[in-house]
Amino acid sequence: MSRGTGAGYDRHITIFSPEGRLYQVEYAFKAVKASGVTSIGVRGKDSVCVVTQKKVPDKLLDQTSVTHLFPITKYLGLLATGMTADARSLVQQARNEAAEFRFKWGYEMPVDVLAKWVADKAQIYTQHAYMRPLGVVTMILGIDEEKGPQLFKCDPAGHFFGHKATSAGLKEQEAINFLEKKMKNDPAFSYEETVQTAISALQSVLQEDFKATEIEVGVVRKEDPVFRMLSTEEIDEQLTAISERD
Amino acid sequence: MGDSQYSFSLTTFSPSGKLVQIEHALMAVGSGQTSLGIKAANGVVIATEKKLPSILVDETSVQKIQLMTTNIGVVYSGMGPDSRVLVRKSRKQAQQYYRLYKEPIPVTQLVRETAAVMQEFTQSGGVRPFGVSLLVAGYDDNGPQLFQVDPSGSYFSWKASAMGKNVSNAKTFLEKRYTDDMELDDAVHTAILTLKEGYFL
Repeated sequence: MSRGTGAGYDRHITIFSPEGRLYQVEYAFKAVKASGVTSIGVRGKDSVCVVTQKKVPDKLLDQTSVTHLFPITKYLGLLATGMTADARSLVQQARNEAAEFRFKWGYEMPVDVLAKWVADKAQIYTQHAYMRPLGVVTMILGIDEEKGPQLFKCDPAGHFFGHKATSAGLKEQEAINFLEKKMKNDPAFSYEETVQTAISALQSVLQEDFKATEIEVGVVRKEDPVFRMLSTEEIDEQLTAISERD
Repeated sequence: MGDSQYSFSLTTFSPSGKLVQIEHALMAVGSGQTSLGIKAANGVVIATEKKLPSILVDETSVQKIQLMTTNIGVVYSGMGPDSRVLVRKSRKQAQQYYRLYKEPIPVTQLVRETAAVMQEFTQSGGVRPFGVSLLVAGYDDNGPQLFQVDPSGSYFSWKASAMGKNVSNAKTFLEKRYTDDMELDDAVHTAILTLKEGYFL
């Protein structure tokens, strides 16, 4: 079969393979899993919560500098799962974009607009050969003025969807199975239930009980639409509540 | 466009005279969710499957059928992110036309410009073709119109067409059911029936 002069390069840059696939994009997804971290996001009735593992590979590292949870504006948060360096580059650009939006249009960038911007950027890298796709799956959370709490997930292929709950990273599929069962009857979780569902989903899927220092938790609530990362004490409270409930 | 290191086209001719990247792009379209369009006597309908990867996905956040102008809509089969790029460019082109001529853009003109964009990406340096086929449905002074645009940039006007998975069954079904004097309600009904045909495949 005559393959043409693109043969062999379909694995190196983002051109089509004979079956119509983009190998570089698929490898980018694998890079997300290779980071070894799993993240979970849950949307409740009036709040959104995201949880991720905090793996500090070396005791000498300053723990406070190891983070995957980034505020983009006061009201929008971004959880990046995958390659940290790619994540930081994306966060920097997202912060700039959100600030420009606020300046240009006079109101805060909505969650879905930011998610679309991230996804469109990812799409460019899948179509132009000179830049590789980013090895990150991004979860963006915030409170929309009209639609309420929102949770979006963007991936290296440029897809983005709103989610009631979702997961990314190593144990993504197991977590989604767990969450599908929990969210089957469209429950309207309160703030406490949202946070505890997210944390207990992570615990169940990774089959270990966490200490408060081993996870990062970020929330936005309708009554206080600022994106906040929970302190170690607050995480401890939630962990205790979960273990008492069980 | 792009980095100067990639100032050569990635889509080049094979010894047999084929542009294989375009063929591969068509494979990507063929593995996408089914979509179809039917031109009736008094309107056009376009429809598509919206199978989401999980019940956790908020279906209100996804809209596969989009407006290019108030009287022209589009649906795609293939890679969703690529379709967003085309919709964005087409919307801008429609507005530029309006600014110049103070008239809404005719369907044929918009299709032509969208197709030109898709062709550019099969010839420019450092880019790959779009992995989508578009069905553009519009109503203007020439009546109802339905166009299909392929990754190569070629476009045709159709009375009824289908793209994506299960396309041959869908087209056979449409050929049997299509009549030139169909009303829009009939066309909508036929569209849904056609999608149902392929649902369990």
